[in-house]
Amino acid sequence: MEKSIETIWKEGFLQNDALVAPKLNNLYTQKSEHIVDKFTRMFKINLVAIVAGSFFFLGMSYYVEIPYMGLGMFIILNTLVLVNRSLMKGLAKIDKNVNTFQYLKSFDNWMKEQIATNEKFARVLYPFVFLSGAAGFWFGSFGGDIPGADFVNELTFHFPEMIIVFGLPLYGLIGILLVIGLLVYFGGRIYRWDFNIVYGRVLKKLEEIIADMEDLRKEA
Amino acid sequence: MSSDFYTSSILPFAAIIIKICRAYTNTQEDFEDYYQEVSLQIWKSRDNFRQQSEWSTWVYRLSLNVCLTLLKKRKNNPQHFASDYLPAEITEDSKAFANESLDQLYYAIRQLSEVDRGVILLYLEEQSYQEIADIIGTNPNNIGVRIKRIKERLKKILDGKVN
Repeated sequence: MEKSIETIWKEGFLQNDALVAPKLNNLYTQKSEHIVDKFTRMFKINLVAIVAGSFFFLGMSYYVEIPYMGLGMFIILNTLVLVNRSLMKGLAKIDKNVNTFQYLKSFDNWMKEQIATNEKFARVLYPFVFLSGAAGFWFGSFGGDIPGADFVNELTFHFPEMIIVFGLPLYGLIGILLVIGLLVYFGGRIYRWDFNIVYGRVLKKLEEIIADMEDLRKEA
Repeated sequence: MSSDFYTSSILPFAAIIIKICRAYTNTQEDFEDYYQEVSLQIWKSRDNFRQQSEWSTWVYRLSLNVCLTLLKKRKNNPQHFASDYLPAEITEDSKAFANESLDQLYYAIRQLSEVDRGVILLYLEEQSYQEIADIIGTNPNNIGVRIKRIKERLKKILDGKVN
């Protein structure tokens, strides 16, 4: 006689081997590997995108005849990539043969180190980007007219009493220095904000896993 | 997670977790992954247990929710799991039990929708319609009809009429 599903269910689970619980080990191994792999993949893609972006800016700036901007951006963005490639070497050195907790802690330490380095670098990067942009518009194309100088001549014609320092109107110079000062001061924070937009979710997940594992270790 | 908590509060209910996890996974690797995740979530959510229901009912509910969440994640990120799709027939890897009929029944259950799997598992575990409705979050009046339809579908699958 054909068995009902209820009978199959009951009889099936009467056998002892049907309900063997798996051992709880390496609880976070898969999760940890996944999170580290994901971050590394995103980090590499970002570096490639920055290099591609720097070439794009360079080409575009020549095309629209503000090459100083493209050149400045090219130099600073590729320096940023070189700094981060050097940081990536540290990531590759993390020992994968230790237990998951130690592995994640090493990764977390590397992350803190790279954030600290990039925060410092951001204090140079953002002012440099601003200056590149300003220089691009000020100097125009190589060997051609200097739009910035023409602008100052126009201003001095209309406001002859205006104070000029190093070929720039004093108030303009103060404004530029103020922006640079703000970018130096807030560069680290701008970087953190930027970093959180791109990697925030991965970072949060990492923090959660480490916090869970620390709880597990306390209770073990 | 302390070994005391696991031994006293999870292990006695391991059968529930195993039965549910088996219904939502196709391979041993995924099953172990799900089992671990359910155990972990029980431990992490233990303070949320309000004693308004039996601990076992709470374990059922939480196990089902975790499995459904993992299944959703699995659909979004199939590369992170060993098995993405239900094989066309029972494979060596998906054979979890020595009892062939039980393996076939599980194979049929895995072909049901995610919610239907939960309903039939709870029914087979002799939960009342009210308990099933509470766990699934539906009206108990609908459960009887739904179970009847699920059983008919399972029978067809087991008889080889439906793939």
